[in-house]
Amino acid sequence: MDELTLLENYLIVGALLFGIGLVGFFSRRNMIVMFLSAEMMLQGVSVSLVAWGRYHNDWGGQMLVIFILTVAACEAAIALAVVLTLFHKKGSLDIAIWQQLREENQPLYVESQMLQLPAEPEAHWPRLTPAGVEPEPDLEEVTHRTHL
Amino acid sequence: MNQVLAVIGCATVLLAVGMWLSLPRGRAWGRSLGWVLVAASVGLLASQVPLVGDWASASVFFVLAAVTVLAAVATVTFRSPVYAAIWFGLSLLGTAGLFLFQGAQFLGVATVVVYAGAILVTFLFVLMLAQPKGQAPCDQTSWAAPLSALTGALVVGILTLTVVSVFQNPTMENRPRAALELTVLENEILAEQHVAHLGAQLFSKHLVAVEVAGTLLLVALVGTVAIVSQIRRPDEWRGQSHG
Amino acid sequence: MPMTGAIPTLLILIPALPLAASIVTAVFGRGALKHNSHVPTVAALVAAFVASLVLLAQVRSQSESESSMVGWETTVDLWNWVTIDNAIDTPAAAHAAVPAGVDGLLPATLPFRIDVTLRADGLTAIMLSMVTFVSSLVAIYASGYMHGDRGYWRFFSYIGLFVFSMVMLVSVSNFVLLYVFWEAVGLCSYLLIGFWYERPEAAAAAKKAFLVNRVGDFGFALGLFLIWTTYGTLNFHDAGGIAGVLGQTRLASPELYVGGGVATAICLLLMLGACGKSAQFPLHVWLPDAMEGPTPVSALIHAATMVTAGVYMVTRCTPLFMLSHDAQMVVAVIGCVTVGIGAVIAMTQTDLKRVLAYSTISQLGYMFLGLGVATLGGITAGMFHLFTHAFFKALLFLGAGSVMHAMGGVVDMRRFGGLRRLMPTTHWTFLFGCLALAGVVPFAGFWSKDAILAAVYEKAAHDGLFYWLYWAALAAAFLTAVYTFRAFFLTFYGVARVPHEAGDHAHESPPSMTVPLVILAVCALGVGAWFEWTGSFADLLQRTPSLAYKTVALVPAEHVAGSHTLVAAVSTAVALAGVGLAAFLYLGDPSQVLAIRRMLMPLYWLSYGKLFFDPIYNVLVVWPLWMLARLSYWFDRVVIDGLVNWVGRLPLGIAGGLRSLQTGLVQFYALAMIWGVIVLVITLLIWPAVAANWK
Repeated sequence: MDELTLLENYLIVGALLFGIGLVGFFSRRNMIVMFLSAEMMLQGVSVSLVAWGRYHNDWGGQMLVIFILTVAACEAAIALAVVLTLFHKKGSLDIAIWQQLREENQPLYVESQMLQLPAEPEAHWPRLTPAGVEPEPDLEEVTHRTHL
Repeated sequence: MNQVLAVIGCATVLLAVGMWLSLPRGRAWGRSLGWVLVAASVGLLASQVPLVGDWASASVFFVLAAVTVLAAVATVTFRSPVYAAIWFGLSLLGTAGLFLFQGAQFLGVATVVVYAGAILVTFLFVLMLAQPKGQAPCDQTSWAAPLSALTGALVVGILTLTVVSVFQNPTMENRPRAALELTVLENEILAEQHVAHLGAQLFSKHLVAVEVAGTLLLVALVGTVAIVSQIRRPDEWRGQSHG
Repeated sequence: MPMTGAIPTLLILIPALPLAASIVTAVFGRGALKHNSHVPTVAALVAAFVASLVLLAQVRSQSESESSMVGWETTVDLWNWVTIDNAIDTPAAAHAAVPAGVDGLLPATLPFRIDVTLRADGLTAIMLSMVTFVSSLVAIYASGYMHGDRGYWRFFSYIGLFVFSMVMLVSVSNFVLLYVFWEAVGLCSYLLIGFWYERPEAAAAAKKAFLVNRVGDFGFALGLFLIWTTYGTLNFHDAGGIAGVLGQTRLASPELYVGGGVATAICLLLMLGACGKSAQFPLHVWLPDAMEGPTPVSALIHAATMVTAGVYMVTRCTPLFMLSHDAQMVVAVIGCVTVGIGAVIAMTQTDLKRVLAYSTISQLGYMFLGLGVATLGGITAGMFHLFTHAFFKALLFLGAGSVMHAMGGVVDMRRFGGLRRLMPTTHWTFLFGCLALAGVVPFAGFWSKDAILAAVYEKAAHDGLFYWLYWAALAAAFLTAVYTFRAFFLTFYGVARVPHEAGDHAHESPPSMTVPLVILAVCALGVGAWFEWTGSFADLLQRTPSLAYKTVALVPAEHVAGSHTLVAAVSTAVALAGVGLAAFLYLGDPSQVLAIRRMLMPLYWLSYGKLFFDPIYNVLVVWPLWMLARLSYWFDRVVIDGLVNWVGRLPLGIAGGLRSLQTGLVQFYALAMIWGVIVLVITLLIWPAVAANWK
C-alpha cells in the first residue's frame, strides 16, 4: 500500500469533514446541532492526525487523537451543561435568541430570517386499540394502607 | 496543474451550491439537487487523488469515505436535530472504519464507544430533555446559508488544493517526506499486540499528559455539576417547552 | 550690635505664644476645649502683651543709651530659609558693610538669602505693645461676644493665627518675610471676614477683600522686585557683608541710595501695596464690606491692627520715601483724598458699623497725610495717630458690638435709639471713643490728629500744596466730629427704641465685654495726653534707625508736632463746632435733618451712595474682566474643548463603526475568524505558489 497515496486520501476526507462541520456550525441555529458540527470538525482533524502519524511511522498522531477524545468528552459535558442552562433561561435551543448579548443599539442581524414558520401539521402517532377487559380494582389492595 | 486547479475550483463551487441548496431554508426547493451537487463535488475531488492500493482496498476505502462524508452532510443538513444526531452517529461509524482501515484499531473502537456510545447519547439525552417535540422553528431555517456554504466549501477547496498540489508535484522541495523505515508501523501498529503497544506508549511517553487529561476530566465533571446545579426551577422550563 | 539681655527671648516668645495658642485651639478646640476655647488664646495674648511691655522697657533703656542721632536696633537670627548663590549681578547700589581694612571690594554676584531674622527697635516695640494690648482686650471681649457661636473654637484659633502673623509682620527684618506675613494677615482677614461663611454676604465680602488686596499686593511685590534689582538685597539690616536696604551702613552714607525715577517707582509701588492693605483711595472699597465679619474682628483687624500695616510699612521705609519728593506728594494727596472720601460717605450711612468703617478709612487717610508730609514731625504724628486710633477705634467698634449684641444683631441706626439708660456702660465708653475720634481736648485723638494738622501746616510754609491739604483735612475733621456724634446721638439718645430681634436680652453686655470697653475708654482718654506730655512716644520712635538718621534728607522739625497752639485752637474749635452741629441736628427736631437733606439732595445722594465707587469699579474693572472671562470661557468651551472633544470623538466614531460587528451571534464571530484564516492562507501560501507557477 502506498503510504503517500493513503495520506493524501485521508487528508482530503479530513478536509471534507472539517469543511462540512464548518458549514453546519455557521448556518445551523440549534445549539445541539452546532455542537454536533463542532464535533465533526474534530473528527476531521482526528482523521488527518491518524493519517499523518502513520505516514511518519509514529504513535504520536494516535496519541493526540486519544487526548482529543478525552477533551471532546469534557467539552461535550460542559457544553451540554451550558446549553441546558441557556435553554432554561429562554425555553429554546435557538442560538439567535442570545443575540441579546450584542452591543447596545445594534440592529438584530438576522431579524428578517427569524420568520415564524407555520407549524408543522400535528404528527399522528399510532394508537393502540384498547383490548381486553379492564380489571376490577382489588379492594383489598386499594384500601390496604387504611388498615395499617 | 491548471487542470487540477480548475477541477478543484469547480468542486468547490459545486460543494458550496450543493450545501446551500440542501441546508434548511424554510420551504425552499432544491434539497435533492443540493444532494446531487454535493455528491458530484465529492466525486470530483476523489477523481484528483490516486487510488488506494488495489481495487479491493480502494473500494473499501471509498465506501467508508463516502459513508463518512455523506453522513456528515446529512448531519448538517437534516432539519430534525434527532436525525442529525443519528446521521452523526453514522458518520462516526464511518470514521471508526477509516481508523481501522489505517490499522488504528484502538482508536476505531474508542471512537465508537466514546463518541457514539457516550457523547452522542448525551446529546440525544439533552435533546429529549429540551426539545421533545423533535423540531423547533429555528431548525427549519439557517443563518446566512449561502455565505456559510461558500466559506466551508472554500476551506475544503483550499485544503484540497494544497494537498493535491503538494503531493502531486514531484518538483516541490518542501514535500513531506515519509519515514525511511516503517519499523514502528510494522512492528507495533499493525502488529497483533496493537493495544498493548499503544498502552505501553501511552503510559510511558505520555504519562504526564494522561494524568493531566484525567485531571481535566475531573475538573469538567465538577464544572458541569456546578453549572447544572444553578438551574433551580425545572418546572418553569418544562412548562415553557410544552406551551 | 550686641544682643542684649532678654530681648531675643522676648522677640521669639511674642509671636510663639499666639501661634501655639492657635495650634492648640485648632487641634483641641472642637473636642476637648469647646466653650473654653478662648482660654489658650486669651492667656497667650495677655502673656505676649506682658512680654511686649518688658521688651518695650528693654528697648527703651537700650535706645536711650545710644546717641539719638544713630538710633538703636538689634536683630535675632533664627534660621536661614533660602539661599541661592550667585542670584544677581551685583547692582551698583549694592554696598558691602565694609569691614575695617577691606576697601569695599564687592563680589561680582550676590546671593539671594532670606534669613528669618527678628528685629527690635523703637517702631517694632511700639507696634508690638499696641497689637498685643488691643488683641488681648479684643480676645477677652470676644469670649463674651462670640459665646455660643458654633465656630467658637475656630474663631479663637483664627485670632491666634492673626496675632502671630501681625506680630511677625512688625518684627521681621526682611522685605520677603514682610510680604509673607503681609499676606498671612490678609489670609486671616479673609478667614475672619468670611467667618460666618454660610451667609452669602460674608463670603462675598471676604472674596472682595481678598481680591482688592491682590491689586495692592501685586504692586507691593513689584516694588520688592525693584528693590531687589536695585539694591541686591531685601534685608532691612546689614547682614552677611551686604548693606541692608534700611541698614545702618546705608543710612550713615545716603549716597548709597538710588534716587530719581527708580526711587519714585519703588515708593509708588510700595504705596500701592499700602493702599490695598490700609484701605486707601482708590482701593478702599473692601473695608466697608469687611464689616460682615464678627465685630471683634472689625475692631481688631479692620480698625486697630491689620489696616495699619500699610502705615507701618511706609514708616519703616521712610528712608526710601525720602528719596522721592513726588512719592511724598502722592502719599499726602492720597491720604488727604481718602480723609475726605471717608468723612463724606460716613455722614449719611445708617449702618453703625459702616459709619465706623468709613471713619477708619478716613483716619487712616490722616495717618498717610502725616507720612506724606515727610518731616520728622509728620511721620511721628502719623505713627502717633496710628497708636491712639488703635485704642479709640477698637473701643468704638467694641461698643458698637456691644450694641449689636444687645439688639440681636441689628446694626441699622434707624431701628434703635435712646439706649443710654439701657446700656449705661456702653454709652459712657462709646462717648469717650467718640470724643477721641472727634478730636476733643484732652482725648487721645485730639493730640495725634492735631499733631498731623500741625505738621501739615508747618510743611505748608515750604510747599503751597499743603495749604490746600490742610484746609481739606480741617474740613474733614469737622465732618468727623459731625458724623461721629450723629452716630452717637442716633444710637444712645432720642426716643428709646429696640428692634424686635433683640427679644428679651436688650440689656447691658456681660462683664467680659464691658471690662475691655472700660479699659479702652481709659486709654482713649489718657493715652494721647500722657505720651504727648512725656514725649516718650516720639522719643522712642525717633530712635528707630530709619527715622534717627537725619542725613536722609529728613527735614528736622524745630517743634515737636502738636505744640502749635494756633492749629490746636482751630482744630479744637472745629471739633466742638462739629459736635455742636450734630447735637443741634440730632437731638432736636428730626424735620431739620430732613430739611437739610432736601436742601443738599445731590450731596446726600452722592454720600449715601458711597460716592458710587462700587458701581464705577464694576463698570470699569469688573465688567471688562467679566467679559474677558466670558470670552475666555467661550473660547475654552467651544474651541479648546471642541478640539479635545473632537479628538475624543474620533475613537468613539471608529468604535461606533466597529460596534456593529458585535452582533451577539456566535456564528458571525466564527465566520469572521475563518475568513481571517482564509485570507491569511491565501496571501501567505496559495498566492505565492500560484504566482510562482505563472512565471
